[in-house]
Amino acid sequence: MLSTVPLNVGRKRVFHSVFSPASLEARPPFASLFNHDQTPFTSFQSDGSSSTVKTASQVTVLSSDKEPLVDRQAWDQAWSAATVFLSVPDRGFAPIYEARDTDGNEALKDWNRLSPPSKETGEALTYLTAAAQNARTTSGTTGPKDLFSWYGDEIRRHFLMNLRGGLCELLRTPEKDGLLRTIVDCLQLVRRIYLAPIVHYLLPLLPTAEQGRVLTHLQRGFHTVVSYSLPWAEISKLLAEDLAQESLVILGIDTLLEESNSDENSQDGMEVDRQYSVSYEEWKQESTENRAHMMTEGEQDNVTIARDRLLAFLNGLQLVGLGGDKAQKVFAGVMNIMMTEFVRSAYTGKWETPTSATQHLRNWIEDVFARLAVQVLAIIHTPPSGNQTSGSLDVSFGDVEKWQEIGIARLGALRTSELFDVIVDWPASSGAVEDLRHFTTHPAARAYVTQSFIKILNQRLLHPGASTVEILQLYISIIRAFHLLDPKGVLLDRIARPIRRYLRDRDDTVKVIVSGLLAEPQSAEKQALPSSGDTLVELSTELAKAHQLSMQNNTSELDWDDMNWVPDPVDAAPDYRKSKSSDVIDSLISLFDSKETFVKELQALLGDRLLQRREDFDQEISVLELLKVRFGDSALQACEVMLKDISDSRRVDTSVRKDQGLSKPPSRMHTKRPTVQIPELHAKILSRFFWPEIQDQEFKVPDEIAYLQHRYSTGFESLKQSRKLTWRNGLGQVTVELELGDRTFVDEVSTWQATVIYAFQSDVEETTKMITDLASELDMAPALVRSACLFWVSKRILTEVSRDTFRVLEYLPAEAESQEDSADVPGQSTDTANAAAAAEAAAAAAAKETADAAAMEKMNLYWQFILGMLTNQGAMPLQRIVMMLKIVVPGGFPFSNEELREFLAGMVSKGKVEIASGGNYKLVH
Amino acid sequence: MDYTMEDTQNSAPEALEASKLNTSSQRNETQSVTKRLQAELMQLMIQPSPGISAFPDADGNLLSWTATITGPTETPYEGLNLKLSFAFPNTYPYSPPTVLFKSPIYHPNVDFSGRICLDILKDKWSAVYNVQSVLLSLQSLLGEPNNASPLNAQAAELWDSDQEEFKRHVLARHRDLDED
Repeated sequence: MLSTVPLNVGRKRVFHSVFSPASLEARPPFASLFNHDQTPFTSFQSDGSSSTVKTASQVTVLSSDKEPLVDRQAWDQAWSAATVFLSVPDRGFAPIYEARDTDGNEALKDWNRLSPPSKETGEALTYLTAAAQNARTTSGTTGPKDLFSWYGDEIRRHFLMNLRGGLCELLRTPEKDGLLRTIVDCLQLVRRIYLAPIVHYLLPLLPTAEQGRVLTHLQRGFHTVVSYSLPWAEISKLLAEDLAQESLVILGIDTLLEESNSDENSQDGMEVDRQYSVSYEEWKQESTENRAHMMTEGEQDNVTIARDRLLAFLNGLQLVGLGGDKAQKVFAGVMNIMMTEFVRSAYTGKWETPTSATQHLRNWIEDVFARLAVQVLAIIHTPPSGNQTSGSLDVSFGDVEKWQEIGIARLGALRTSELFDVIVDWPASSGAVEDLRHFTTHPAARAYVTQSFIKILNQRLLHPGASTVEILQLYISIIRAFHLLDPKGVLLDRIARPIRRYLRDRDDTVKVIVSGLLAEPQSAEKQALPSSGDTLVELSTELAKAHQLSMQNNTSELDWDDMNWVPDPVDAAPDYRKSKSSDVIDSLISLFDSKETFVKELQALLGDRLLQRREDFDQEISVLELLKVRFGDSALQACEVMLKDISDSRRVDTSVRKDQGLSKPPSRMHTKRPTVQIPELHAKILSRFFWPEIQDQEFKVPDEIAYLQHRYSTGFESLKQSRKLTWRNGLGQVTVELELGDRTFVDEVSTWQATVIYAFQSDVEETTKMITDLASELDMAPALVRSACLFWVSKRILTEVSRDTFRVLEYLPAEAESQEDSADVPGQSTDTANAAAAAEAAAAAAAKETADAAAMEKMNLYWQFILGMLTNQGAMPLQRIVMMLKIVVPGGFPFSNEELREFLAGMVSKGKVEIASGGNYKLVH
Repeated sequence: MDYTMEDTQNSAPEALEASKLNTSSQRNETQSVTKRLQAELMQLMIQPSPGISAFPDADGNLLSWTATITGPTETPYEGLNLKLSFAFPNTYPYSPPTVLFKSPIYHPNVDFSGRICLDILKDKWSAVYNVQSVLLSLQSLLGEPNNASPLNAQAAELWDSDQEEFKRHVLARHRDLDED
């Protein structure tokens, strides 16, 4: 097949050099032949090959009757000699199929297409052409009895009779690989068989001007037969496959795909000095000068081969009449897919910054994509149709630009689909967002980005499976990413709406935000992963940073001197605000309609933290100062007071202790009474009104402590007249030092734990106590006592002798013992672990108990509501009471219908309400 | 790629949100009234005053309440449960609520359709008043009617002349609304 290429090209060149394109265009006879030959044309389309032949022969007979001008007999003789010489032998398809791979000369000889005509035949040919010429010159029209039109019919007849069936059968074979090439080879051979005698023996007889016309005429006839008699649907499928296969190689997409597959395996195995590459990675590493040449020079062998193969194949395709605009359509479809494929394989997951993906893509389209397009379109051009000048390229620069734009749009679509992952990886992936910026230049693209991103968000983020921290974390990334993407914040404004709506519905959003704000920024640096854990440490850093930023530029809409002011973008929502969009903290805080929820949560958390024993509360103070800038002083007044309480109480503490002689006993006292140490008591004085409600377990502290507390109170009251101290025994830390038979134990524990262990203190060894005894002795809830005991069990100070009975573990079980029995060691450690877990569980249970008590307390308030409701609205059923409570109780009514029914039943038994007819609850007067 | 949503400003969800936000100022107003009323209710619940009670109606917007005053001792109304209706305007507490007696009551300053003549509910209204203070004023009005500007002249006359007869009229007119 390769040998035919030069031949074809050569022939074409000769052809072009001899005939001007203008002469090619002037070929009306063929069109007219087409028009008046309608019947055979349609009939061979509908598979009536034999009838076509018949019609054709009838035409010849008829036309010979109507020939009055020439010598009838001579003409008839010449005619028959010429037709015999020219007619193509009916040998069927098989020989053509077999000879498709040869250079064709053998076949041509076989088919008797090369042997020169005998003398008589030659004369006959000369005579006939001359006669036809004469007829044309005299009458101005082509005589009906034209040897060439007869030959055209002959070609058609022969093709339909001998070859069509075979080719169609070939098309139907399941083996599709290279099938189209085979067909094209066959057709090329056939073409040569048909045209060889004409070119060699008939054309020279014609005047030069006529030669081109005649040849085109015949070729066209051949193309028509071929293209209409073969099923294009199947051919186009084959063609698309072939094109796709080759262009994958030529456009470099195959190497990209391989690369991404082999990336994990080995990087070293690749040739380092490969110059030609369309890979984005490699391109990026090159210097700017090299980049320009990378895709144009030093093409790899396989690419060159593939390119030559494809072009040769297309040449053949064009020659046998399967090219033209139909092939162009197929080509366009394939190139469309290739573009997407390239963008996908070259840029997926390449999010580094700074990015030059768009530039790379533009280069690729110009150097590789457009090059192939130009080369291919030059071959499968449509037959010149009039206004096309021969010199112009099929591809204009405008087209290339359009392709580049399409490519950018594809890249944008890719990035949009990746956007969620991009933002998860933020800020390492900012390059991808920069790519996207090139895409979001017109409103439609922007709408596309936001819509598809919102869809992904709903699918992947805004569902119950995602934790609030994750959502907030991602929201922060989104804010940053979209700020880069669209500094005006319009896109962010659109994206943020569903997220914000969703976050508002989450119960713990405020909590997460506030704890994030209060988190230590140092720990963020230590952890290196800002999103790990359950706090948004990032927020506190952001808070400080944002403040610095706002100090630098507080430009607002009211800055009349701002020369860079631009109006809001056209696609901004009506209530869109520009300045707020990039400020992460502000976006989060403004999630809630009122500051109150936020401030309340802040107070609660601040309360917790301030009660911890710490050296300083600088972090809290600075956070509060920064928040004050945003919320205003008045909103955070309570928090302010809380902080002040803490710093004040440190001062007060010192002076009270000095006044009351509670400060550390001088050393001489220590020597006097070495055994009994007076415990130190420090207090934090809180202004009850400003602190959030603190749940507290009440119990009796040991007498020593109570005595100290009393003295402290007196001291305080003398210092601050008209103020009174109420001790919250449940809050606080105690450093305990336990001296046991074989060891001492020092740790910081909570007050109630200390109180319980203090109760075990005695000189008698092996003190054993029951929970119930302890509970009554200490005035403490049994659950809390148990929790404390279990805590000490986990510390291996106590041991549970039997259920709810605890004994001090004065001596640890001997080490040797446990070593002897090796199975005991893990057993023991699990024991300790179990005890620790049990202690935790018990503590939780105790906490729940107090919470329940608090809930009951609240129930009293609800009772007031119910009372008011029933007094004023008359009797009503349970359902309505619940409904009303849900409406009027601030913060909502937390109990279920069942719980309320139980509560009301209690009230019924107390005689406060009665159940009237229809299940209505009614007050008893 | 779907470019059909070109005109994004008019796409449904945003338009909806926008329209919601346009009414926000109005909603804010209602919200502040609601907030205030909620706080008043809470106060009433936490610190109930003897003899008075009030609660929002079931319509759920908190703008209409029903209140109950128990007649103060040593007045003709002793032991009677008197119901009132409160209707709060959107401008509350800057304008007074409309207060009416729902229970039929015989009183010099209340007419037969329950309208009350009390200065603090008219021109002497101030934003510092609240449901509780209004109810307390009304409670005291039961014991000390303002006979200078009566709505029910006969009652005013009787109050001054014949307390026994007055009480008889009160009891004759009173009907407990709860009995339905």
